[in-house]
Amino acid sequence: MLQTITSTLYADMLRQGAASLYKDKTVVNDLNVFPIPDGDTGDNMYMTLKAGSAATAGKEGNVGETASAAAQGMLLGARGNSGVILSRIFAGLAKGLEGLEKADTAAFAHAMSTAVQEAYSAIPVPVEGTIITVLREAFEATLVDTTLEEYFENLLSEMQVSLDHTPEKLDVLRQAGVVDSGGAGLLCIFRGMNEALHGIVASEEAAPDTAPAAPALDLSKFAEDSTLEFGYCTEFLLRLTRAKTDIDNFDIAEFVAWLEANGESVVAFRDGTIVKVHVHTFSPGEILNHCQQYGEFLTLKIENMALQHHQESNRNNASFKRPKEKYGIVTVAAGAGLIEAFKQIGADVVIPGGQTMNPSTQDFVEAFEQINADNILVFPNNSNIKMAAEQAAGLYKKADVRVLPSSTIGEGYYGIASTDRDCDNVEEVISSVMEIMDSVATGMISHAIRDAEGDGVKVVEGDFVGYQGKSILSDSPCRKEAAEALLDKMGAAGRDVMLVFTGEDVPQQEAQALQGELTAKYPNLEIMFNNGTQPIYDYIFVLC
Amino acid sequence: MLTFFSDTDCDITPKECAEYGIKLISMPYTVNDKVIYPYVDWETFDAHAFYDMLRGGTIPTTSAMGEEFYEKLFEPEFAAGNDILYAHFSAATSNTFTIMHQVLDRLKEKYPGRKFFEVDSLGISALAYNVVMEVADMVKAGKTGEEIEAWAKEEVPHFSMHFFADDLKFFRRSGRVSGLAATMGGLIGIRPIIHLDDNGVMVSIGKETGRAKAIARLVNTVVEQGDKVKEHRVVIAHSDCPAIAEEAARQLKAKFGDDLNVLIQNVNPTIGSHCGPDGLGICFHAIHR
Repeated sequence: MLQTITSTLYADMLRQGAASLYKDKTVVNDLNVFPIPDGDTGDNMYMTLKAGSAATAGKEGNVGETASAAAQGMLLGARGNSGVILSRIFAGLAKGLEGLEKADTAAFAHAMSTAVQEAYSAIPVPVEGTIITVLREAFEATLVDTTLEEYFENLLSEMQVSLDHTPEKLDVLRQAGVVDSGGAGLLCIFRGMNEALHGIVASEEAAPDTAPAAPALDLSKFAEDSTLEFGYCTEFLLRLTRAKTDIDNFDIAEFVAWLEANGESVVAFRDGTIVKVHVHTFSPGEILNHCQQYGEFLTLKIENMALQHHQESNRNNASFKRPKEKYGIVTVAAGAGLIEAFKQIGADVVIPGGQTMNPSTQDFVEAFEQINADNILVFPNNSNIKMAAEQAAGLYKKADVRVLPSSTIGEGYYGIASTDRDCDNVEEVISSVMEIMDSVATGMISHAIRDAEGDGVKVVEGDFVGYQGKSILSDSPCRKEAAEALLDKMGAAGRDVMLVFTGEDVPQQEAQALQGELTAKYPNLEIMFNNGTQPIYDYIFVLC
Repeated sequence: MLTFFSDTDCDITPKECAEYGIKLISMPYTVNDKVIYPYVDWETFDAHAFYDMLRGGTIPTTSAMGEEFYEKLFEPEFAAGNDILYAHFSAATSNTFTIMHQVLDRLKEKYPGRKFFEVDSLGISALAYNVVMEVADMVKAGKTGEEIEAWAKEEVPHFSMHFFADDLKFFRRSGRVSGLAATMGGLIGIRPIIHLDDNGVMVSIGKETGRAKAIARLVNTVVEQGDKVKEHRVVIAHSDCPAIAEEAARQLKAKFGDDLNVLIQNVNPTIGSHCGPDGLGICFHAIHR
């Protein structure tokens, strides 16, 4: 009989939790209230937990420290709202376990109570019928006066009960005929944690590193005549050693300050005697020599950033030491055309991503690092990305970071185009941007992955679906017809301007035909087609 | 004798010059370090090619003329015993007139008997064109320089122009429009409505969402602020968007009748370098600017 959770066991529980979720993450993704292929809760929670699990690598010492390291890793690795909430749940667990050598049932149950508190406090307006409900109800219904194994068995049954009842609490779930995806993801994780209690521990392959999806390196991007334009992305784990430094008096703030003076995009923190460093530099050798004064490297990765496609698309040419500006703008978009369009209207950094590829908190922090401005305005363009952006804003201290909660591509596009960079009053800038974002309506076309019924529209699997916000407005086997019906319902006739971003799957001929038809149908509407080449959404219509 | 000058920034072309006896001053623009003089370096203005070049990202620059330029224009006239009448584009939009007046001050001392009459249209493009053509009518009718200056003092403030531009980077670059907030731009279909004020300065006075509303706003301004509109020319100038100009003309005729004297013309390349492609302006006779 197992009595306590040690540091090693806690790390194993996270690893097995990740493996368990990995196995079922497609099932979790498909618990999408929308019948289109953009569910990503499973991916987001998996990548977030994986970041936490990775942070426990090589951890020794007490369970409190290990839980804290995991929480720190998840804080930066959090993706999507479900990932951010998950990171807060584990931050709550870490808070409850703080200072403990190991945790028995009572200690773990106490940590569960701090986890519930932390999760609820992370959300401005907590919605019941979601992951937080599953966590809280299971915690409240589970008796503490048991062994750890019994505690977890009971916790799992209660989670299942609570999860099954989520559709009764949340109309959107009932209408879609699904249970809450975040709650389902949490259950998968705790199932894995329970397996670890019974000695089942996943191999590395059972929980592969999927985040961020690393693109294949194209070595031709740095050829014989190339000059180093972006520098090297340099990442390492440094073990502080007693032979080289006075570990107790090691000054991490001074260490980070040196890195910042000698590199860019610095993300560095200390965790016990390990220092994790991420830095962009033109001379990695100098950075390594300096850091080796304090210890030895555990891991080391250096990449020429000219080869990093996703990095390259992220940055303007002169990202190193740009002159300081009043405002910098960070946004999120998927599709080369859309990313370019955002840059054209004034976005300084466009993080590749969107509904199915939510950027992590760390992605945001790195984007902020590329900007040299007093104020950074962040347009997440998706309500599921907002929390990670806000979490990053809270962590970043070198600029006043404000998240302008654009929930669609259209809101972000108009918001960024309207940002008055000459205005000194940031509050004024934000309020005028918010006003214009309110006046914009965004509708999208995607294809249905299952039959559904909502808002009086019958959705047939395989059809094209038109929707705005959370309302399904049209369905047709013909993409153009679905688009036209959507625009009718959105009241395009009463609008003045329409921007259209065509997706990567739309043939140019079809887009041209649609443009002709819409121009004839709405003579007073100024229609501008752009090749957005975005995935998933065949058309994004922005009405102003 | 009175020699009548005008310049290409007023959208005046050799056709009008031949008809009204105007000496045309060619105001240059610079493309890729090459200085180009309209109607000197080319004969007809290929507006589509010019504005397509701007759409492609090549942006010409303009600069004030030197003293020698004005000496060469004006001194031979004074030397020959002629007086000069110059109807020009808004002095408030260019430093070139400061230099011109320095030259004139010297020439006046040298030729004390000679007179220089000046009509500042307090406008550019369609507005300048409209004023210059009114002056041309008077010159043709045999009015004196004094009479024309007196007319200008009274009447120029009644010629009003409003316009919208599509791509604001041209204005931002030249910094010649005040009150231009960033909340606008052709990329999102929201356009500023710009007015030339009493001093010939460009001021943004509002915005319209969508081209249809922007056109309607300009046409409604003519209806609301117009005075004796049909007794004067209504001039529509556009930077390579002829269909939109035709639509504006159609709407104006629907309001005022088919006999309204509407002229449609291209914004000249020198002014076009500052306002960019796909802009449209309407100039008319108003109660007041």
